[in-house]
Amino acid sequence: MSAGLVAVLFVAAGLVAIGAFIAAWKRDLTAALAGLPVMFGGAGVAFAGASRFATPGGPPAFGQEVAALVAVAALALVALGVGIAGRGTSR
Amino acid sequence: MDSLHAIGFYVSAAVSLGGGFLVAFLPGRGARGAALAAAGVGVAGLYLSLSAGFSALVALVCFAGCALLLGAPAYRVMEITVSGVWRQLGAVAAGGLLAVLCYAAWRGNFVHATFYGGSINSASIGRLLFARDALATDAVGALILVALVGATAAWRLRDRGR
Repeated sequence: MSAGLVAVLFVAAGLVAIGAFIAAWKRDLTAALAGLPVMFGGAGVAFAGASRFATPGGPPAFGQEVAALVAVAALALVALGVGIAGRGTSR
Repeated sequence: MDSLHAIGFYVSAAVSLGGGFLVAFLPGRGARGAALAAAGVGVAGLYLSLSAGFSALVALVCFAGCALLLGAPAYRVMEITVSGVWRQLGAVAAGGLLAVLCYAAWRGNFVHATFYGGSINSASIGRLLFARDALATDAVGALILVALVGATAAWRLRDRGR
């Protein structure tokens, strides 16, 4: 059993599509923010996969660096969105 | 990639994709937060099977933070006013995006290279973050600062207005 770059990109595409689906499907805008980390996670997986399988010229950890930055950016955007939404009733 | 890493990769892929679907369809906040945390565990497992241990740790912490924020009972519900047709169109567009991305991945002509890195790579990523791409690191740090200050200010202003 093995997994190559195409399998990694398929999984990354699935995560990006599920994140977009969450963002489009949720009625509550604050709950729709949950699509952001999933989408960004998919992008990070694609970067890490390209770094793992297909970077002959560049530094080998560049994609992993971008994946880490993207994860932190997703957390910051979710925090900003929840902060803008403010405090209210639970549901 | 050897068999053990491949098995870990496919299991993690199933966990992350399943967690994403649960985030989309579970009704309660706590359940959604738990599903987002499970998706984060899956994404971290994907990174780990791709020999990106440092990114796996960062992703795990960030997904846990997102799950705590979105699973907490304190935030306000903001209902959208668009009809169900637009939401269904958005869902179909997400399916179209999946098809386009999968087609691009399937038909792409990628250069394959041999990977010589370790499993955690914290030293090489640290060199990239603070030497080669210091500007990008500063930009993400500034984004976090603006996000946290903005979130705190918005939260306090709303509370003061009540």
